[in-house]
Amino acid sequence: MFINFFYSLRDHGIPVSPTSFLRFHKALNTGQVLSLKDLYTVARSTLVKSERYFDSYDQIFAHYFEGAEMPPITDLELDEIARALLEEWLKNPAQMADALGIDESKLRKYTPEELIQYFLDRLKEQTKEHHGGDRWIGTGGTSPVGHSGVHPGGMRVGGSGGGMSAIKVALERRYRDYSQQGPLTQSQIGEALKKLRRMVPSGPRDVVNIDKTIYETMRNAGEIEIVFDKRLKDRLKIILMIDNGGWSMDPYVHIVQVLFDYARDQFKELKTYFFHNTIYEKVWEDYTRYKKPQKIITFPNKDPESRIVIVGDASMAPYELMYESGSIYFEEKKSKASIDNLKFLAKTFRHTVWLNPRPRNQWSHTWTIDAIQEVFPMYELTLDGLDKAVNYLMLRN
Amino acid sequence: MSENNSFQKFRGASKYVLDEELAKIVNVSMALEMPLLLKGEPGTGKTMLAHAIAENLAMPLISLNVKSSMKLVDALYQYDTLTRLNDSRFGDSTRDVSNIEDYIRMGKIGQAFVSDVRTVLLIDEIDKADTDFQDDMLDILDQMEFDIMEIDKTVKAKNRPVIIITSNAKKDLSDPFLGRCNFHHIAFPDTDMMKRIIAVHFPNLDQEVADACIEAFYRFRRVDGIEKKPATRELINWIRALKADPDFDVSSLSRGDVPYLGVFFKKSTDLAMASKMIARSQN
Repeated sequence: MFINFFYSLRDHGIPVSPTSFLRFHKALNTGQVLSLKDLYTVARSTLVKSERYFDSYDQIFAHYFEGAEMPPITDLELDEIARALLEEWLKNPAQMADALGIDESKLRKYTPEELIQYFLDRLKEQTKEHHGGDRWIGTGGTSPVGHSGVHPGGMRVGGSGGGMSAIKVALERRYRDYSQQGPLTQSQIGEALKKLRRMVPSGPRDVVNIDKTIYETMRNAGEIEIVFDKRLKDRLKIILMIDNGGWSMDPYVHIVQVLFDYARDQFKELKTYFFHNTIYEKVWEDYTRYKKPQKIITFPNKDPESRIVIVGDASMAPYELMYESGSIYFEEKKSKASIDNLKFLAKTFRHTVWLNPRPRNQWSHTWTIDAIQEVFPMYELTLDGLDKAVNYLMLRN
Repeated sequence: MSENNSFQKFRGASKYVLDEELAKIVNVSMALEMPLLLKGEPGTGKTMLAHAIAENLAMPLISLNVKSSMKLVDALYQYDTLTRLNDSRFGDSTRDVSNIEDYIRMGKIGQAFVSDVRTVLLIDEIDKADTDFQDDMLDILDQMEFDIMEIDKTVKAKNRPVIIITSNAKKDLSDPFLGRCNFHHIAFPDTDMMKRIIAVHFPNLDQEVADACIEAFYRFRRVDGIEKKPATRELINWIRALKADPDFDVSSLSRGDVPYLGVFFKKSTDLAMASKMIARSQN
């Protein structure tokens, strides 16, 4: 039963495991499922394990059990797909070109804006001509936008339960807001950050040190001597600086933030700043690099034991890095050369690394990468590179 | 496991307003003998649900508040070496020093296992613990037994507890973890639901006052850029504060004059933003 429903869920990117599907059947046999609404609720709680997929689930459920039209794709959603396509494209142009049946060399000439427009046009064309057809292209399973597959037919369950019908509930799409949050599939990488901790005794002495207690008791000829210690607490402060200017960094900004947010609770403090290409006089606390600037000059006020992690592709015109007043922003024209600011940071904080999303074998082609590598140790933004960076950050000296 | 218990059904408790959907999920989880994982923003009543289930099914509630420093064994049992050391020195207790079992104390999960009656085990804010803790804990909850290493003894659950796990975080728990739980996300209550919730908490509250308060509450939740949105708990406290204030007049709310804003907004930036919004609406 419901095999097609199961595959329908999977096809739309909801990670449903066979085990949970079996469990769903077990639930059907408990005598708890008496109406379509029960079915809706029970299937969701056993099969769907994150509220991010609730919206997709609602749509698929409504479609499957009532043959409801999959809602037409809105412009906003189209925009999102186009963006996702661009990301895919940046990761692997050849594969994408193949999937779309287009000439890679032709698209290579496009700017990102033109590419987005191109994808949008293709997508619109697609929605017009292929209603109910197969899905055109995957978007990594996050976007609930699949055009419906084949309607299975015949699999209708009659009569809905009291109150609002399940279909109506499903069609309400109450969870739409949740589906817009990006996928947090980087959880394994978050594990790599687990090592990033420094346990320091702090607070009152309220933990019994059993080894020492026994030792001291023996020394005391059996007269009990209890030894207390302070609790170990993680006191590590992290400063994260992300280059979010320019489209070349776009695919990575989110990943990096997710990464560190994931591990946020293990740090004493996690501060995120943004910059464009390289660091001049200030960095910004807000994503738009406009509202909350923070001057680099003020950074020595922070704990010198803070770990700084800078994420950027470190690729720019050499003058942006080396010359005084090299900033591409007019209001920053009167500043020290950026490289001096970087050196200043490196001198103030002993533990600083630069993570670069570009693969290591491309680094030697870019002059500014070399220059920055002389200031900070640079690692690839990969699981492996992250691990090395964390090890470096945790060195004692 | 007694047959009777598994056929008990959960219908809601005196102070908890339950929607039908959630009741169904609780019942199915109990029938499937699976832990129920509840997510949702703070103040949507995740913890309250466990209390309500316990009250409704007349089972004792055992709650384990997870802390980031917690090790799994702490939740299972503790071997009280210090007391034993003390007893061996002074020997004035009824415990037998050579019997280690006398110095084993059950942790929260252990208590739920050895209890003679079926219990509701609430594991609160599981996201605080690390992934290993979470996975290992589910192993134990799956098998319904654990070993006490010091005395080489296996503790088996006498009754399978009803397990409710809550998580605040937006981040996902690990896949194996999710695979073994039923999942529900409690959305923030809508206006009608909130009216019922308020009616349960303040049965004597004037309808007009309640509506005005709830309306003001949702208006505040919609203020842009607020870091910590006020939740149900804040609304209840706020109404309590208003009730205690003899000078409070309902009509002032609709005029935009809102007292005790501090109950709603716990962060100074949020408070400033909300006051600004009120000032604007008055002009």
